Amino acid sequence: MEENPSGVQKADIVVAIPTFNEVTTIANVTSKVDEGLRLHYPSLKSVIVNCDNCSTDGTKEAFLATETHSEKVYLSTPPGVRGKGNNLRNFFSWVRDLQPEVVVIIEADIRNIKPLWIYCLVEPILKGAGFVVPLYVSHKYESTIESLVLYPLLRCLYGRRLRRPAVGECAFGQQLVDAYSKAEVWSQGVGEDGIDIWMVTEAIKARVPLCQSFLGAPKVHRLKEPFSQINRAFSNMVGVFFDLMGPFQDLWLKVKWSRPTILFNADTLDVEAIAPMEVNIYRLYDLYVRGFDRYKFRLESILHLPEMRKLEEVRNLGFGNFAFPDHTWAIVLFDFALAYRDASPEDREEILDALLPLYYGKVVSFVKKTERMSTQQAEEVIEKECMVFEENKRYLVNNWIKT
Amino acid sequence: MAKILVVDDEEHIRMLYAEELTDVGYEVVTADSGYKLLERIEEEKPDLVILDIKLVDYNGLDLLQDIRAKFYDLPVILSTAYDTFKEDTKSLAADYYVVKSFDLTELKKKIAMALEAREESG
Repeated sequence: MEENPSGVQKADIVVAIPTFNEVTTIANVTSKVDEGLRLHYPSLKSVIVNCDNCSTDGTKEAFLATETHSEKVYLSTPPGVRGKGNNLRNFFSWVRDLQPEVVVIIEADIRNIKPLWIYCLVEPILKGAGFVVPLYVSHKYESTIESLVLYPLLRCLYGRRLRRPAVGECAFGQQLVDAYSKAEVWSQGVGEDGIDIWMVTEAIKARVPLCQSFLGAPKVHRLKEPFSQINRAFSNMVGVFFDLMGPFQDLWLKVKWSRPTILFNADTLDVEAIAPMEVNIYRLYDLYVRGFDRYKFRLESILHLPEMRKLEEVRNLGFGNFAFPDHTWAIVLFDFALAYRDASPEDREEILDALLPLYYGKVVSFVKKTERMSTQQAEEVIEKECMVFEENKRYLVNNWIKT
Repeated sequence: MAKILVVDDEEHIRMLYAEELTDVGYEVVTADSGYKLLERIEEEKPDLVILDIKLVDYNGLDLLQDIRAKFYDLPVILSTAYDTFKEDTKSLAADYYVVKSFDLTELKKKIAMALEAREESG
């Protein structure tokens, strides 16, 4: 479904805002995006596209009613088709014909978006980067799926240090517009929350120059209780990462060490403070213990014996002494990746379900270890953990080739 | 043989690094300041730069930004006596950092890793 009131057929910059029932925030985000485009790129032709999932709350009307200097287009997936990934897939095939120089994806629920962010995402592409992800100022416990799973795995496998690979916003150039619309690997998980990690991995595969752009501010978006709806997001993101390991093995098997990613806007002095964040580690610990016991037999079939023994040791430490060693975590994730590859599609879901409690345990361990640390010190803990992943990659490669 | 440019304003560090890294088979050239560093890199074409963060005349993190802008792929290892630099986002652009020490085991390991990673990505 498409509504293109101005009959847009060509554009230099296209900003896509994926939505599903975002009537309360879409107007503000659209307006700030437009301001950024008008301020920083007045001579370029810009279009803002609302990529929707047939919202029923008036998102479309609110978007189209927002006064903007840029042209606006409304796109929607067919009724009943949901998920950010499906939104963007619909958008990718549509945007190719516009032959834009830059495409930006902005999530609709950001409350503190600033016009400058558009410059920070667009400018690196105009200067030659192929794919840009923003680097927000983040709390040490924000998005632990990225910090403890996706970032270490992405860095270790593909050798690229992208600190927030599934943050939700990004920008890319013409080469990726083509690559995304023609990409062969797609799954249900990509159609949902796995789209961000899919886009990053496809960008690495396309060998375009990657860039991180420092925004100097936190991302303030719809308040979700951390870990409340994590099951599906975790399965989608980790599942997509594992799904891509097979088809992209030629890309990662030969990578040994990671390299830094170029940083844009690192000179900014205007850095905002982060809001405090609470993590209920007692609840997470309980989920870990109950999940571990529930999936114990499954874990025995996934993990190699020494790791299973180590996990049992960790399980019996009790909350007071609880710590999940980095080396064990790396090997556990590698074993899960191997088991996932060899499993039937039906079994794969259960494999990811069995990993989730271990992830909760890893979060508890991370919080306990870093609770008295500054954000920077906690970052160093993550960096050290990433080195453990890189140093043990040989284990994964050997088992991947062997089996 | 890989060529390493050591940028440090302390003479004893330049000497130590040059001697030890030459012993393990690297060709080492040195610079005592950040002045005209980009020209020096252009001229010497090193395979890797070891950069002191606190030079007398320049901030090593600003130099790192300049190096990244011009020599995107050149591995840079930050060498420092202080830990506070890591609070600066600019430090993310470095391949690695090492704390200055007379024991160069860690530095040699990071050099080998950075050179290998560059070869893979090249």
